[in-house]
Amino acid sequence: MHDKYEIVIGLEIHVQLKTKSKAFCGDDTSFGSEPNTQVSVISLGHPGTLPVPNKQHIESAVKLGLALGCTINKENRFDRKNYFYADLPKGYQITQDEQPICLGGGIVIKVENKEKYIKLTRIHMEEDAGKSIHDVSPKYSMIDLNRAGVPLLEIVSDPDLRSADEAYAYIGEIRRMVRWLDISDGNMEEGSLRCDCNISVRLKGTTKLGTRCEIKNVNSLRNAKRAIEYEANRQITILEAGGEIEQQTRSYDADKDNTDTILRDKEDAHDYRYFPEPDMPPVVLTETYIETLQKNLPKLPAAFFELLTLEHQLSEYDAKILTDDLETANFYLTLSKQTQNKKAAANLIINRIKSYLNENSLTLKDFNLGFDKMAAFIKMIDTGQVSSAIAYQRIFPVLVENPSKAPVQIAEELGLIQNADVDFLSQIVDEVLASYPDKVTIYKKGKKGLIGFFMGEVMKKSKGKAEPKSTNKLLREKLDA
Amino acid sequence: MEIDKDLILKLEKLARLQLSETERTQLTGDLNNILKMVSKLEELDTDNIKPLIYVSDEINRLRADEVKNQVSKVEALKNAPDKDENYFKVPNMMKK
Repeated sequence: MHDKYEIVIGLEIHVQLKTKSKAFCGDDTSFGSEPNTQVSVISLGHPGTLPVPNKQHIESAVKLGLALGCTINKENRFDRKNYFYADLPKGYQITQDEQPICLGGGIVIKVENKEKYIKLTRIHMEEDAGKSIHDVSPKYSMIDLNRAGVPLLEIVSDPDLRSADEAYAYIGEIRRMVRWLDISDGNMEEGSLRCDCNISVRLKGTTKLGTRCEIKNVNSLRNAKRAIEYEANRQITILEAGGEIEQQTRSYDADKDNTDTILRDKEDAHDYRYFPEPDMPPVVLTETYIETLQKNLPKLPAAFFELLTLEHQLSEYDAKILTDDLETANFYLTLSKQTQNKKAAANLIINRIKSYLNENSLTLKDFNLGFDKMAAFIKMIDTGQVSSAIAYQRIFPVLVENPSKAPVQIAEELGLIQNADVDFLSQIVDEVLASYPDKVTIYKKGKKGLIGFFMGEVMKKSKGKAEPKSTNKLLREKLDA
Repeated sequence: MEIDKDLILKLEKLARLQLSETERTQLTGDLNNILKMVSKLEELDTDNIKPLIYVSDEINRLRADEVKNQVSKVEALKNAPDKDENYFKVPNMMKK
């Protein structure tokens, strides 16, 4: 019965920015400090205090807007969104209602190998609320205002998403972009990227949107997917039973994996009574300001991906891993400039450097091997001086411990340079063939696949030093004679 | 626009106030008077006039992203009606 329905999803993503200070005052924004130690008269909402916008908040918003192809609104103002809650000391949140800083734009997602462009409605600047802790005492809620006033960007998508998988991909792309631009750490578990999901269902082929429900408290990518799946099924089940969907705000419970908690019905919907924030004059952006930010944007993930797959001829799989974050992408780009063998550069990063960093709990920043050494390492394999298996397993670990040594020098010291000398190889090949006269007979009768067996034996006997191409040639000469 | 009982009840809810019946009657009259006074403005033709939001011409009063002007936890909690050594205390909001 579910096949009859189409799911329609729009997402509101709140991104907490990586600024040093808050949106409208100089309070520290570091995570994990003692409660109520990062506050000021402004974030505490004392009367007579004046908020002043943080330049970095505006710059982050414009950067994200430009990266997502939005139209940047030059005449910005702030508005007050009024509601009473104990973790909102002023009684209103400063946000942008009528003139958001970014309009339109969008981002490409990829689901099951199909690309889709998800349009954005808007991005606006606002401030976060404080934190309420309800479970310490049955009588009291405890209020910590360290988070009150931390700068946020709210990214609102059009209702363009049609499945939980698409929503998952979309959140992932937005997260990669805010990390790429270095404006947020995008960590959903720590709450620096939060997502509200607006979900409705309708019969396929119809165009009228169904009544939607908003799901809050989705705190991981996986939970977003599960919450959407659960909520869509809940709505379809009601419709199939002849019922109607009520417009509600519901909460996702990760432990129970359901959206059965109703936070608000339509009747209790907030009346926010927005009005212009009179305490802050308008923020007017010039064309030059926007152009400068545009010029200084890093190469974006999509452009990187294209460069890697089209020009460098890497597989989509490799390109995807290398464009996961800007640091890896730039690391690859620097290395690829020093070697012709792009595929080898990609392999070295993906299959060796990344696992080395993981094993040692390090990041690329901590990796201090010179790019010239990495390029020499690749060249050493390409020229057949060392097999790639030996290079990866034996030489790489020594090289990272001795970053000043040349890779070839290490190979020599460890006695791992491959030997293509005919006399050296002939002797081993002869010995191997003499040890397996029965296998030689079978080979001569036509079972040519045994060449692999002989190769293996020569490698064993030479302790990996026999150069494979010459060995192979020599083996064939002797066997086919 | 007319202020009636329903609107008064809604405003009470939004403002987290609980009024007595006497106060409600009095406030209904007061608010209607205020609206009547302000509605005098409707006599003017404002069709081609942009709303005035800011009385000053100032724009771009901005600050650099720097940490400053914080107050200590002790100072922050000083004027709170209820607190412990770390937090502001309010009636538990999750209780229904």
